[in-house]
Amino acid sequence: MTTEMTSNQKDQSPLLEGRGVSKYFGGLAALHNVDFAIYPGEIMGLIGPNGSGKTTLFDCLSRVQQINTGEIHFKGQEISKKKPFQVAHMGLARTFQVFRVYRKLTVLENMLLSRQWRNESIFRQLRPSHPDTDQRARELLEFLTLDHLTYEQAGNLSGGQQRLLEIGMALMPDPELILLDEAASGVNPVLINTIKDRILHLSNEQGKTFLLIEHNMEFIGDLCSRVFVLNFGEKLAEGTPEDVMTNEDVIEAYFGS
Amino acid sequence: MGRKILDLIRAIIFNRWVLAAIVVLLFLMPSLFYAREWCQELDAFTSPLQDSVCTYLIEEKPVTNAVLLNFTQLFILIILASNWNLTGGFTGYIDFGHAVFFGLGGFATALLMGSSRWEDWPALFSDWSFWPAMLGAGIVAAIFALLIGSFTLRLKGPYFSIAMLGTLVATREIVRASSNISGGGLGLSLPVYLNRPMFYYLSLVMLLFVVNFVRWIRSTEFGSSLVAIREDEVGAEMRGINTTLNKITVFCISAFLTGLVGGMWAYMNTFLDADIAFNQNRTIDMVMMTMLGGLGTVAGPVIGSTILYWLRDVLWANFLLFHQIFEGILLIIIVLFVPEGIMGLLDKDSSGTSLNRIVKGWFKKEPEEHPRTS
Ligand SMILES: Nc1ncnc2c1ncn2[C@@H]1O[C@H](COP(=O)(O)OP(=O)(O)OP(=O)(O)O)[C@@H](O)[C@H]1O
Ligand SMILES: [Mg+2]
Repeated sequence: MTTEMTSNQKDQSPLLEGRGVSKYFGGLAALHNVDFAIYPGEIMGLIGPNGSGKTTLFDCLSRVQQINTGEIHFKGQEISKKKPFQVAHMGLARTFQVFRVYRKLTVLENMLLSRQWRNESIFRQLRPSHPDTDQRARELLEFLTLDHLTYEQAGNLSGGQQRLLEIGMALMPDPELILLDEAASGVNPVLINTIKDRILHLSNEQGKTFLLIEHNMEFIGDLCSRVFVLNFGEKLAEGTPEDVMTNEDVIEAYFGS
Repeated sequence: MGRKILDLIRAIIFNRWVLAAIVVLLFLMPSLFYAREWCQELDAFTSPLQDSVCTYLIEEKPVTNAVLLNFTQLFILIILASNWNLTGGFTGYIDFGHAVFFGLGGFATALLMGSSRWEDWPALFSDWSFWPAMLGAGIVAAIFALLIGSFTLRLKGPYFSIAMLGTLVATREIVRASSNISGGGLGLSLPVYLNRPMFYYLSLVMLLFVVNFVRWIRSTEFGSSLVAIREDEVGAEMRGINTTLNKITVFCISAFLTGLVGGMWAYMNTFLDADIAFNQNRTIDMVMMTMLGGLGTVAGPVIGSTILYWLRDVLWANFLLFHQIFEGILLIIIVLFVPEGIMGLLDKDSSGTSLNRIVKGWFKKEPEEHPRTS
């Protein structure tokens, strides 16, 4: 009975939860009083017109930006005062809409540097990459069809290839929560399907949680169980993809009145 | 054709046997110095071979104190450039005040060896022998790096560079002003020890250690994390690298090694004051030599320092008035045309400023393949 209760509660408690999150750039409210909750194993979509604050929300979650008000809880811990690397150590990974690959390093080095660092001392870092890390990096590169570019400088990759590399770098540390910022844009349709499969596999088999920013509604519809809509920094709607896409407010926000 | 020549140059420079031979020769060189001393003490030469060798050594003086001093100074420059390269080249924090650690190391050694002009200088930190004093110099420099770096390393790009330049100038003036410790304008005199071969060997050993140390650091994950910081600090932090800790650590390591060299230099020089210990030119040397050789490469500082030192010798001898103008122009040329330095030119990859590409452009009739866009 008690065990059932706790497991039930555990299912209920969100992996990531934000309450009253606001972020202002000068007078501009990029996020205003936003509440959200993402549960373990879920694939959640985040949509909204251009400039609605989606990337800003990711920046706040990954602690690249400081929030002005509100709190963010990840795995039950308040993270809005933590350093970006500490949040990463807790198991949060993301990709960037504007690529942040290490341009002068090889693709393999990019992957190796994205491994899980945890809180290891400097002394633990004084050795070459572990063979397991290396193998994992190569496997992921193969999956992303980047293996023929293993030793190429990342800056020389095409836009779509850099997008894939970003995904690989986000998956590298085996995170629990993965934030993908327009991960499918500029990627060819065949590969998009592979990525979809991979996301579903990671979510169903390994219980990974995803939060996806996408403008591609088909991608969202195929993957997400719930969608969250932002408009001018405020939450406009939340629900299943079908609900949201027929919601009048959302249609108005996207297509104007 | 250009490619073949380049491959040959690479094969020679980076051949481990060539490198080993150079090291062995460098180790053997002072023996000529000792041999001459030995010859000079002989009353008569007993064999024709001895006669010819000794006459040559005594008359031609192939290895004198001056030669050893020259090499020692070159070694010191290489070590300094390699240290600077750890922060400036690998981590991407261009430090215009790195000479501050050199100067502090020098003063720490002098004071620890008992040169203080102040009666109340604690006896515990006085009259040390050279080795512990030199170690102390490194530690003092590292502690200073920890204190100052905790603030300056928060700054990015030019702001960091300028803050470090300010640190150098301020430290120099503070040291000069605290004249009862530093001797002010009078400076400090260290115990006189004029053993050129000893300093030659010490600097050579330190050189080999530092270059191999840098090479090893670059091969570790820690070293890669430094390059990641240089390439994209926010991204590195977001991907789990504790960038603050890693960059302060490497800054302290670099300062420690620079402080050691400063200590050795002070003992070798037997005298120092604020102006020569905290000389801005030393920083410029570190920057210029590393940039000439190739920023963020292990061999870059070694090659750059050697070439610039040799060039300086030639220029100094022939164009005394113009050598600084020439050096300034050289720096501009490097930044404009070969930002990746000599190592960048020798790079196998034909991207960027690589010689392969330049040579290809000169010799190829057919149009160059289109560079990849996006
Ligand atoms: N660093 C910043 N400084 C100032 N304003 C910013 C900054 N980052 C974002 N903004 C502003 O915040 C608003 C939200 O931007 P954000 O990048 O989050 O939009 P988005 O929803 O990701 O849009 P898109 O779909 O085009 O990627 C925009 O008006 C933008 O100008
Ligand atoms: Mg965005």
